[in-house]
Amino acid sequence: MKPTTLLALGAIWLSITLAIFLAFLYAPPAKNFIGESSRILFFHVPMAWVSSLAFILAGVASVRYLRTRDVRFDHQARSAVGLGLIFGVLATVTGSLWARVMWNSYWNWDPRQSSIILALTFYLAYFGFRSAVEEVEARRRLAAAYAALGLIVAPFLFYIAPRIAGFTLHPEPILNANLKVEVESRMRQVLLLSSLGFTAFFVWLHILNCRLLTLLEARDAKSLS
Amino acid sequence: MSSRSDFLDFLARSGAVLAKDWRTELRSRYALNSLALFAFSTLVTVSMALGPVGSSPLAQPLLPVILWLILLFAATAGLPRTFVGEEETHTAIALRLAGPPEAVFAGKLGFALSLTFALEILVVPLFLAMTDLSPKDPGLFVATLAACGFGLAAGSTLVAAMVAQARGKGTLFAVLLLPMLVPLLVMAVALTRAAVSGEPPVVEITQVLLYDGMVTIGGFLLFPAVWNP
Repeated sequence: MKPTTLLALGAIWLSITLAIFLAFLYAPPAKNFIGESSRILFFHVPMAWVSSLAFILAGVASVRYLRTRDVRFDHQARSAVGLGLIFGVLATVTGSLWARVMWNSYWNWDPRQSSIILALTFYLAYFGFRSAVEEVEARRRLAAAYAALGLIVAPFLFYIAPRIAGFTLHPEPILNANLKVEVESRMRQVLLLSSLGFTAFFVWLHILNCRLLTLLEARDAKSLS
Repeated sequence: MSSRSDFLDFLARSGAVLAKDWRTELRSRYALNSLALFAFSTLVTVSMALGPVGSSPLAQPLLPVILWLILLFAATAGLPRTFVGEEETHTAIALRLAGPPEAVFAGKLGFALSLTFALEILVVPLFLAMTDLSPKDPGLFVATLAACGFGLAAGSTLVAAMVAQARGKGTLFAVLLLPMLVPLLVMAVALTRAAVSGEPPVVEITQVLLYDGMVTIGGFLLFPAVWNP
């Protein structure tokens, strides 16, 4: 392993470990939240952020695939959707755990809970769609078009639909309509560190995943020939 | 001058696709029959299941939800035919040669749009009669049906083109389409509820038009990649 890679991995490990410690020992609990439940924010928000980032990345990679037909972009889109789903599920689970403490129920059909489930369904269908197309080139092309469509639908799914539904128990998003991070200073520091750590972790997983997909494809091509 | 003749050529080609689709449809009446029968049987089933509750004030806030679910599921039953039929009868190749993808998409969108509006003309008066629902703001009600019907048709056209080249087309169409149409469904229900109650809507119709515009533009941009191998 290259020294720069080792250094990068060390930095990722350090930032996530430090964020876990600081989340419990340095950041104060938020006001108007039951007990220590607000500490889950330092994990829930980064998971939701990374999930959104992954889906945007998948959409952009898909558009680039459609423009260039370079297989690497298809691998990037596929990897990003897979990782986005994992982080999306983690965001949903951490949100549900918090909801159990605050709202006395894991699932309340809150518009924000529903919208993340729908977004996950949209991207789960991406894999279902891929497996339903036999011809390799058509599979890549059609899946890319579908993921690119996600870029159009996602803003409506995440921002407009939950607001229309009206009622929500979910706290105001960290990054709100005024594009301001409205949390206490120490909480903001930990949140930023945690978000950076998990984003870097996602980037590392994404690079590994793309390499793995390239190797798997090369193996399949070799076995076919 | 050249751009004007290009535009006229585009209109002529998309019009030819639309006319061809209607001619084929009127011969077989597959999509029309499946849309109409699906919508009618769902309507009757819902009315029977609701019973007298359907006409009570208690059910009023729920009726717009039921109306849009009927329209949505009926659309998923009939609209995939626009492209699936072309692949099954192996006429897609001829259609690819007949015109640019954008003209094909415009023609198919026109066909899906006319089918959706036909579905709404059939289902909505029946639904209103069966549930004793009378919109206090008929203008908003009609505008909602038109704008949301357009979004339904635009989304369905693009997804139908995608699934036509895959296996398990019927199931896949619903799986891909429903998460995509949920924002539209939420806006449609909110607007219909406002039109029925006469209260100011929580969503502007311009937001639906924005959705329609984005999905249509996205459709025109993505369709050449979906259509041409």
